[in-house]
Amino acid sequence: MARKKIEAQHVSIPTLSLGDIAFLLIIFFLLSSNFYRESPLQLKPPRSADLKNLQEYPVSVSIDRDGRIFLQGKQVPDAEAVNWGVAALTKDKATQDGRTVMFKCDDAITRDVFEPVLDAISRGGGIIAAMGQRTKQLEASNGRIP
Amino acid sequence: MRKTFKKKQLTDEAIPTVSLIDISFLLIIFFILTTTFQKGTGFVTDIPGGEKTQQVQQQQKTPTIGLQANKIIFNDDTVTLQELRKKLAALNLDQQKDEAKVVMLEAAENIAYQDYFEIMAMVTAAGGAVAIIREKGSR
Repeated sequence: MARKKIEAQHVSIPTLSLGDIAFLLIIFFLLSSNFYRESPLQLKPPRSADLKNLQEYPVSVSIDRDGRIFLQGKQVPDAEAVNWGVAALTKDKATQDGRTVMFKCDDAITRDVFEPVLDAISRGGGIIAAMGQRTKQLEASNGRIP
Repeated sequence: MRKTFKKKQLTDEAIPTVSLIDISFLLIIFFILTTTFQKGTGFVTDIPGGEKTQQVQQQQKTPTIGLQANKIIFNDDTVTLQELRKKLAALNLDQQKDEAKVVMLEAAENIAYQDYFEIMAMVTAAGGAVAIIREKGSR
C-alpha cells in the first residue's frame, strides 16, 4: 500500500497586528498611571494607623514640600483659587463621590498653609478625602506630640 | 557615445517590525510594574468651616481637641494620643447623629500637617466629624 506523503507546511505567526496591540496597551498604561498626573509633586505623605483604602477621585488638591498649592496637578497662587476651582469642578456633581476632593499635603507643612486650603475646599462644596500612608501603630511626626 | 544605464535592482525595503514588538513589550512590562492600581489610603471627611464665637464657646457638650506644639488638650485635659483614642471611643461618636458627631479641632499656628492629620484620622475613625475652629478674621 502506497503511503501518501504529507507535505510540510510553512506556518508563520502574523506579528504585524501584535505591534498595534502592544502600542494600544502602552497608551492605556501611560494614561492610567498615577505618576503621569502627579509627577511634578514632591511630598512626603502623613502617616496614621486609622486609614482605610480609598478610590481615586477626579478632583485633586495637593501641597508640596515647598508649600506650593496644586489643583488638578497645576500650580495655583493661593487658597482662594482652590475655592473657585473646586466650586467650578464640583458644581454639577450630585453624588458624594463627585464632590469628593483628594487632598495630599506634605507632612511638614504648617497650619497657616494647609488650613486655608482645607477651608477653601470645604467652602467650595468639596468633601475632603485626606490621603496618607497607613502605619501599623500610632505615629506622631518627629515626636512633637506624645 | 551612447550612455548605458545600469539597471538598479529592487531591494526589499520592508520595515523590520520584529524588534519593534520586543521594544513594545519591554515598555508594557515597565508600565505594568510602575503603575499603581492599588487604591490609596486615607479618610473621607466633610469639614464644616467655622469661626470661634461666644455661642460655640458656651457649648460645653461639644468635645474640643486643642493641638499645640508638644501636647494635645482634650476638653481642658492634657492627653497622649493613646488616651485621646480611648476618650474618643468612649464618646460613641459612630452612634450619634448630626451635630452630636462634631468634634472641634483647634490647632496652634506652627502645627505640622502630620500631627493635624493624625488627629483628624483618629476622630474620623471613631465616627466623628471634625470641625475646624478658626479665629475671626483669620481667613
